[in-house]
Amino acid sequence: MHHFKIRLVFLLFFVITFYANSQDYKFGKVSKEELEEKYNIKDSSSVATVLYRNYNVYYDYMESTGFRVITEVHERIKIYSKEGFDYATVNQLLYRDNSSSEKEVLRGLKATTYNLEGGKIVESKLKSSETFKEEVSDYYFEEKFTMPNVKEGSVIEYKYIHESPFSYNIDEIDLQYDIPIKKQIIQVEIPEYYSFNPRVKGYLNTSPKKSKSSGKINFVNKTRSGSVYSNTSVSYQANTLDFITNISTFDMSDVSALKEEPYVNNMNNYRGAVKYELQYIKYPYSLVENYTTTWEKVAKTIYDSPNFGNQISQTRYFKDVLPDVVEGASTDIKKVYAIFNYVQQYMNWNGNYGKYTDLGVKSAFKEQTGNVADINLMLVSMLKEIGVTSYPVLISTRDNGVPMFPTREGFNYVIASAKINNQIILLDATNKFSEPNLLPQRDLNWFGRLIGDNGESVQIPLAVNYLSTENVIIQTNLLSDGSLEGKMRNTYDKYNAYSFRNNNNAISENDYLEKLENKYNQMEISDYTVTNKKTLGKPISESFSFKVDSQADIIGDKIYFSPAIFKAITKNPFTLESRNFPIDFIYPWTDKILILIKLPEGYKVESTPEPLSLALPDSMGAFTYKITSNSTSMNVLISSSMNRSIISPTNYEALKEFFRLMVEKESEKVVLSKI
Amino acid sequence: MRLFAFLACFLLFHALYSQESNYQSLIINKSLIQDANAVVRLNETTININSINELVVTKKRVVTVLNELGNRNVNAMEWYDDSEKITNIQAVVYDYLGKEINKYKQKDFEDVSAVSGGTLYSDSRVQYLNYTPVQYPYTIEFISETKTKNTGYIPSFYFLDGFQVSAEKCKYTINYSGSDLKPIIKEYSFNTLNISKKEIDNSIVYEAINIPAINQEILSPDFKSIAPKVLPRLVNFHLEGYVGKIETWNDVGLWMHSNLIQGRDELTESTKSKLHSLVKGIKDDLEKAKIVYQYVQNNTRYISLQVGIGGMQPISAIEVDRVKYGDCKGLSNYTKALLNEVGVIAYYTHVESGSEKNSFETDFPTLAAGDHVILAIPYNDKYYWIDCTSQIHPFGFVGDFTDDRKVLVIKPDGGELVNTEAYVNETNYQSTKAKYTISENNSIKAEVVIKTEGIQYDHHFNLENNNSDEINKYYTATWSNINNLNIENYSFKNDKENIVFEENIIVSAQNYATKSGDRILFSVNPFNKNEYIPKRYRNRTLPLKIDRGFVDEDEYVIELPKNYRIEAIPNAENIESEFGSYMVSFEVDDLKSFIVYKKKLLIKEGEYSKEKYNAYRNFRKKIAQIDNSKIVLLNKSTN
Repeated sequence: MHHFKIRLVFLLFFVITFYANSQDYKFGKVSKEELEEKYNIKDSSSVATVLYRNYNVYYDYMESTGFRVITEVHERIKIYSKEGFDYATVNQLLYRDNSSSEKEVLRGLKATTYNLEGGKIVESKLKSSETFKEEVSDYYFEEKFTMPNVKEGSVIEYKYIHESPFSYNIDEIDLQYDIPIKKQIIQVEIPEYYSFNPRVKGYLNTSPKKSKSSGKINFVNKTRSGSVYSNTSVSYQANTLDFITNISTFDMSDVSALKEEPYVNNMNNYRGAVKYELQYIKYPYSLVENYTTTWEKVAKTIYDSPNFGNQISQTRYFKDVLPDVVEGASTDIKKVYAIFNYVQQYMNWNGNYGKYTDLGVKSAFKEQTGNVADINLMLVSMLKEIGVTSYPVLISTRDNGVPMFPTREGFNYVIASAKINNQIILLDATNKFSEPNLLPQRDLNWFGRLIGDNGESVQIPLAVNYLSTENVIIQTNLLSDGSLEGKMRNTYDKYNAYSFRNNNNAISENDYLEKLENKYNQMEISDYTVTNKKTLGKPISESFSFKVDSQADIIGDKIYFSPAIFKAITKNPFTLESRNFPIDFIYPWTDKILILIKLPEGYKVESTPEPLSLALPDSMGAFTYKITSNSTSMNVLISSSMNRSIISPTNYEALKEFFRLMVEKESEKVVLSKI
Repeated sequence: MRLFAFLACFLLFHALYSQESNYQSLIINKSLIQDANAVVRLNETTININSINELVVTKKRVVTVLNELGNRNVNAMEWYDDSEKITNIQAVVYDYLGKEINKYKQKDFEDVSAVSGGTLYSDSRVQYLNYTPVQYPYTIEFISETKTKNTGYIPSFYFLDGFQVSAEKCKYTINYSGSDLKPIIKEYSFNTLNISKKEIDNSIVYEAINIPAINQEILSPDFKSIAPKVLPRLVNFHLEGYVGKIETWNDVGLWMHSNLIQGRDELTESTKSKLHSLVKGIKDDLEKAKIVYQYVQNNTRYISLQVGIGGMQPISAIEVDRVKYGDCKGLSNYTKALLNEVGVIAYYTHVESGSEKNSFETDFPTLAAGDHVILAIPYNDKYYWIDCTSQIHPFGFVGDFTDDRKVLVIKPDGGELVNTEAYVNETNYQSTKAKYTISENNSIKAEVVIKTEGIQYDHHFNLENNNSDEINKYYTATWSNINNLNIENYSFKNDKENIVFEENIIVSAQNYATKSGDRILFSVNPFNKNEYIPKRYRNRTLPLKIDRGFVDEDEYVIELPKNYRIEAIPNAENIESEFGSYMVSFEVDDLKSFIVYKKKLLIKEGEYSKEKYNAYRNFRKKIAQIDNSKIVLLNKSTN
């Protein structure tokens, strides 16, 4: 009877060049210069700056638990102003797996605040009673602490060890914060038994330096001899096992802060970060366990999960209702619409995302509620059942970020597809107002991955390739007191109709009218009618009569007004000087406004704005503005369109100018004078 | 006999059955659906004060949700913490016919921290039902029971939950085990409602039926102040191991002083000597207080941390001194200790915070009132108020977070209700002065000086703590009426002594004015347009309330382009109204190259009947219109 006791000892330590500058990065060696610094010279607007960060991931082995991932975190942060105090509070989420009762732990916390008082460095240490642990959910705990004695000018420093028994996972490592980082060394040391591939994302343009070191596992072979009847003698035998450690190191200086910009899909898409993605595990004397490396493999792995592919093959639970659903639908396309409509109306999304089912399609169907996968995989299997070629499409929602590299976490959501006449139709039945090929906005994020019956997959673009229009026709009388009276008719289609329904269908007509009245300079609305508000697939059309005061300036014997009246765009949304990230309009759109104005009696047109046509490069967008007038009336035609949903930052200047000219043109006035 | 038993059974069954079928959504009284997103069919709370240290609260709540917006009124949730336990919690969902769809037990409820991520620690947690409706309307029946040894707070009862929800039947019962545990009850806003009250044998019962929903409207009294409710309190109570007897506000103060505050003001010798050196040579108590407050502001920060006696006890001064952070209680107690050390008296003051002015009730002393702590410093027969959680507010200025309301000043010999400083009308002052030039190419260039005082100071002075990006964004948003705005320069002066904030800004913008043929048109007030018009209601139902008044004064010297003459200029105006006044005037210099524009707007605080809402709206509409008026210039070469 014998067993091994293996202890992993890394014989080779990496000596990092700590003394590169005059800076001393050893814990506790905070300098006077660091404390005296009043602001970050490279980014004077920063409220705090990471002076030094060391993040070291390595593996440890214990017989009772197996391999564990150890992360040593050490950060030294300078707080410049009160707004930077938030960086003195640290939260570390700790995952626990309830099925195996394994959990992550935090240990070895050491934290000190340094202040300069009367020219002397004063240290304040964090006490263990000042850390708090809170249960966040069934899966997470949170360890929290805030540094003592923090003031403007303080330097704080903390280190701790985060231990995880989940050796197949290395958490994504941020390489960029919302504050600048002056110096950071991030090192990941992985024994040869694990093969990970580092994937760098963001705009930092960095890659790890790779190296190898040879290491040794010292383990003790303990042998017990003798029997229960005799004295037992134990002999120890020291053994070693040579192995290779793969090391990747990011040694970075002056990492700029990630700053918010408007019209950005999700700022975290642009944050510099590295994800170590597991490719395979091969323990000594064991077979290789393969993990995902390509999108195809990712898709296959997901497909093979019992909460995915298996859910699609279940059909019995809806057998009774399906014939009724498709009754009268003569073509495949009509059947697709009928089934989509049925699932959309019958099922109720519980607000949870997920590529895997939560309740399972069967119970979800029974309870009429479920997560995204429950609903959309159900949709796929119903479509298949009636003979339509239908597959699930894995996607990453906008708030999950753009899936740059193949990982299972890259996808967090699943929708359905149907192939009719070689055309792919995308379907998401979780929203009550989405339509075939009109997905909820959260879905519109680059590419999805369509998975076939055997788990094979292809890439599918999710960008919207059609225009959503808003048509406005206004017929109005301009009165000599500057007020307007008339009729307005608005037509919304595609995403405009989708937004209208999502925003307004749940509120009463009265509340909606109050909203509308207040949107248009507090006009008074009467005779309101709306069509197709609830009929999906058709444009919504609303019309009403209105009366609104003070829409023209009466100065002396002249009247001045903007021909676009209350529909004029008065603000340029793009005010920033320059732009680093793409501008995201979500979907292409076009707005057409026709205004017929009857002029007040006793006035004649003295001048009108000149017509204008603008176009963005590569037909990305266009704007036209035309006025024709006679002695009693005036016709104004304004149309603007953006033909792409995403515009690259290289076109920012042009886009900003385009909007500037638009706003300026629409603010120009017609002058009427008394006859 | 048997027949009787059968009949009784039948009746019981029938009663049960009818009660179940009451959960049908179709039979709801029409008047309850008006303006409602949900109807509370039954709101029944029973409070059992079994002894001075056992309080059991059971709730039964049946809500019919009419539409999506009504989901927030389900409130199938219960709070708990280290001393209050949930002993029963369950729910049943019915469809619109009253047929049961689903049942939920305690394990089906989510269990989360009741405070946001901004709090470092609190033991307060909540269990709630996360239900996804499958159809509307639907009905949820929720039952809960909680048990606590604390009797310092007895849950109050609201007959209406909030805006846009009605109530069909309410029943609030308090059972108490003896006359010494009989609660004192205060009733609010019962006037228009049919609420009955019965008192029998150690039990008080309130019942009400058919209370229609109230629509939420802007510029109206807050819900708390118009909601029909009853607040109970116990004279004799137990709280976290302490017993107490409260008959007056003085008693509340005394209890809090002796159980929460007393003896928590110890300081280290080194801190004491630091303090004495800080105020060395200074005689005046107010001057000393200012120095100590400044010291606290420079050296501490606010961290929300609810520990000690149900979150009511401040962290000791010595602990705050070491870590240099604390919540409102800890920081106030710490500052009080520092002030006392240098001989300045300061009182720990309990207050209900928020921009809505919530006063402590003179005739209803209770520990349940208040959610924030400030300090009161008596000096020359006047109290100076300081909020120790702010690192930036001037000494003696609390802004709209705790202004103008009754608060409890806690002294060693008891508590006293005092009104905090009110910032009335003219006190909330803003002056905007500018010199601006309109050029022939339609651009504007301006030097603007803005001075703010009172509550307007409160809304501006934090600017100096922002970085340049944020400041640029702020002005671009504030002056969004000026397109292509370019902030060329800015500087601030924060006079904390007189509480005046001054902004000096130099701006320019291309195409501010509009050209129409030979004319140039520009809006005369670029920097402080009072454009706000309260929204129009088709049917206003609540009184008009203006919480805080203010005065805005604008004065601009406008330089005109050389080759243009004034063609048209708006008229001077002078409007008086019960809500305030508005005055605007224009003067042209002799050479006709300058215009001097002056404006003064006064809005008074006050409460008016709902009929006045439209008059107020028209007043603001007229002002908005005039503030938006334009000047027309004509090229001199034109005839």
